[in-house]
Amino acid sequence: MLDKRKAVTAVFAALADPTRRRILERLAGHGERRVTELARPFRITLPAISRHLRVLEHARLIRRRRRGRTHFIRVNAVGMTSAQKWISHYAAFWESQFDELDNLLELAQQKKKPN
Amino acid sequence: MKSEVKVGDNRLQITRIFNAPRPLVFAFWKDPERLQQWWGCKNTTKVDCSMDFRVGGSFTFVMQITGAGEFSYKGQYDEIIEPEKIAYHADMGGAITDVVVEFFDQGAQTKMVLNQVGFPAQNICQMVSQGTTESFDKLDSLVSSQALVSQA
Repeated sequence: MLDKRKAVTAVFAALADPTRRRILERLAGHGERRVTELARPFRITLPAISRHLRVLEHARLIRRRRRGRTHFIRVNAVGMTSAQKWISHYAAFWESQFDELDNLLELAQQKKKPN
Repeated sequence: MKSEVKVGDNRLQITRIFNAPRPLVFAFWKDPERLQQWWGCKNTTKVDCSMDFRVGGSFTFVMQITGAGEFSYKGQYDEIIEPEKIAYHADMGGAITDVVVEFFDQGAQTKMVLNQVGFPAQNICQMVSQGTTESFDKLDSLVSSQALVSQA
């Protein structure tokens, strides 16, 4: 359970950065991409991109394949799935509260109606 | 499941229609006596709310949760536009979440849209209700079929 929590924390920390989110967007539906190609639209240095990629890799949001000096990056489903599972727990939390709120609103209005 | 749920990388959006006029729905967020009646998960037996309902004001909800004890949900209001919007940030022991709730007047009904950004990896209610994973499973399948909310 503790490992799971660390893993989830790593995922959300990784996703909190807008550049990293855009990197993931650029990878979505594209299979593998070279790091240099991935980095093209970003106006930051390659070392900075590499730092971001390391964070994403640590969070298991991306996978890296090396072929000589070329690095290929792809989305890792493992990280994204655990993130979405966790978010769904929060959705369930709100849902049960809103069910209760629903009941209370109904009760509150029944009281107001004349007999 | 009555709500419409959208999930993004770092964001959860829940839309729900209530069969009540907007001022009443808003009142259930604004009045501590009303809020503590619906706040908390199924295992929450009691909630004590102290709220300073104004921009910059703080709130603390102390929840008694069966099997886990007492937990505090603390935060501060960032924006209040009555009866349209409430924005706050909350701390549940470590990480911060940002929540924005908007209320849309639909006559006798109210559309409420909640956006949560940030997910502390310590959902007390989830930890306590280990056995009741059915609702989570349902949500998982729902979440996986929903479109991702794209970030700007």
